[in-house]
Amino acid sequence: MIDRLARHTSFFAPAAVMSAWGTVMLHTIASGHINRLLSPAFRSYVFAAAVLLFVLSALHLLLYQPESVTVPAGTSPGRLRHFMRWLVLLLPVMAASVLSPSALSSTTLANRALDSTAGVAAMPNMSDKTSDDIKMAQAADPNQPVPVEVTDLITLSHSPEQIKAFAGRKVRTVGLVADASGSSPKLVRWIMWCCAADAQPASVELAGNTSGNWKDTQWVEVVGTAQFPSTLGHIVPRIEIESIKATQEPDEPYLSP
Amino acid sequence: MLFAAFDLPSASPSAGISWPDVALSFFAIVLEGAPFLVLGAIVSGLVDVFLPAGLIKDWLPRSKTQGLFAALGAGIIFPLCECGAMPIVQRLIRKGVPPAVATTYMLAAPALNPLAMFSTFLAFRNQDPWLMVVLRFGFSFAVLVFIGFWLIRLRPDQMLRAETLLGSVRPNPALSPNPGLVLVPRPGWSLGGLQQFTGAVIRDFTGVLLFLVIGAAVAALFSTGFNRNLLAPLGQSLLLGPLAGILLAQLLCLCSTTDAFIIAAFAPFSVPAKIAFLVAGPLIDLKLYWLYRSAFQPRFVHGLWIRALAATLVITLLYSYKP
Repeated sequence: MIDRLARHTSFFAPAAVMSAWGTVMLHTIASGHINRLLSPAFRSYVFAAAVLLFVLSALHLLLYQPESVTVPAGTSPGRLRHFMRWLVLLLPVMAASVLSPSALSSTTLANRALDSTAGVAAMPNMSDKTSDDIKMAQAADPNQPVPVEVTDLITLSHSPEQIKAFAGRKVRTVGLVADASGSSPKLVRWIMWCCAADAQPASVELAGNTSGNWKDTQWVEVVGTAQFPSTLGHIVPRIEIESIKATQEPDEPYLSP
Repeated sequence: MLFAAFDLPSASPSAGISWPDVALSFFAIVLEGAPFLVLGAIVSGLVDVFLPAGLIKDWLPRSKTQGLFAALGAGIIFPLCECGAMPIVQRLIRKGVPPAVATTYMLAAPALNPLAMFSTFLAFRNQDPWLMVVLRFGFSFAVLVFIGFWLIRLRPDQMLRAETLLGSVRPNPALSPNPGLVLVPRPGWSLGGLQQFTGAVIRDFTGVLLFLVIGAAVAALFSTGFNRNLLAPLGQSLLLGPLAGILLAQLLCLCSTTDAFIIAAFAPFSVPAKIAFLVAGPLIDLKLYWLYRSAFQPRFVHGLWIRALAATLVITLLYSYKP
């Protein structure tokens, strides 16, 4: 009886594992959680892989059958080891799909933050839409806030000409608030090159009144004045806050190049 | 000119570790790697069914040295990511490609491929990009030649796991990358080719997937919990900079097409430290260590690890101390 059960488990395990991976992949896509895990370039590959895994599972069940030979006594430790192997393939990915949070925490933010390095990092460029928005806003009412990303302000800070043209402009941007009640509050966006494991934070300073009961890494929308002060030769983009309010997580929580 | 946009609060050495973030990073790594593993297993299955062993032998140069350089050339022309390469390389070995040649190709494909060089150029476009591309390619090539000449002196049984080795001379489903998988063809189906292909794909995928899961767990742990600022003070040192770069590459476990963007942001690191990071990472790291274990003997992988890192350290130190 046990041997029969073991043989059937051994037969169905590959199909179960592949189907489970396919299901986890499709669920991650359907729920939108994939936006927090992979850059857009990789998402279609996950969908294709999920479909292929379902096809392979079906082929496995169609083309193969359980062993019919009774395994001699004394081989059960091997069976157990193989069973454990299938569990290792199955359980961690399912657990991670359930337990993985919606955003990286301030602990990881601190671990991945770097001191004084932003100027040499290759930042995602301003999108055409944002560039157009900026040009339109500059041409129109200078008191209207220009929608920008955190990385746009960093990119602007690389060019003295852009700093001259943009300093003092009212901007509106979205990001994660960090150290809101501390001495140097920041507005942070994660930049993702391939996946969340390689995501790196980029930030601008927040000046003025950041009062509010902000949780660390809470999504906020900030309206304020863009400034590019120089401290000891380092130019640090900064927003002088006019208003700050809680907001929803954007559809794309990470910025990708 | 430096700016301080990455100067975030609370970046202390004792930042700690967030286990939910480890789960998030682990999930991201396996989701990113699994599609390439599926692709690699499918290519491996196609090679198994459609590529005669004799044909590969006819293509390959007879001389070991020529085979080594052919593998390096193939690494440039046929780029493969690390995850996708493992099933294909194992299958090529089973089809009769000398293990030294297949292993050299496995190492060269991520290290020398044009996409990695292009991403290096983009990442360092504000920091002398051509120098970084030339140094990365040149030093990677030199280290690979060094490793390749070590590989061609080894016997297959010194390199490969029994499953990989015996599968090359005595094709047997039981000697698969996943020994727990027993595939018994269903009678009445006359789809021999499809059965062979499906069996090869499932064996290779599930066989290497275990090592991807283990490697991803280790990589997630370190990429999330390790405070990168700890290595920053070492990065400027002539002697310790390359060592810090190599150590960082081992811990972060990045893909070769991404790593340049990450290290470009490490302003405290010198050029030799950054080059050491870019050369060592694609050859071996904590994730690749486990992936390599799916095909190779632990002792061989340890030897490869030591040689790859030592060669990278020597060549970047020589560059550090250039006149």
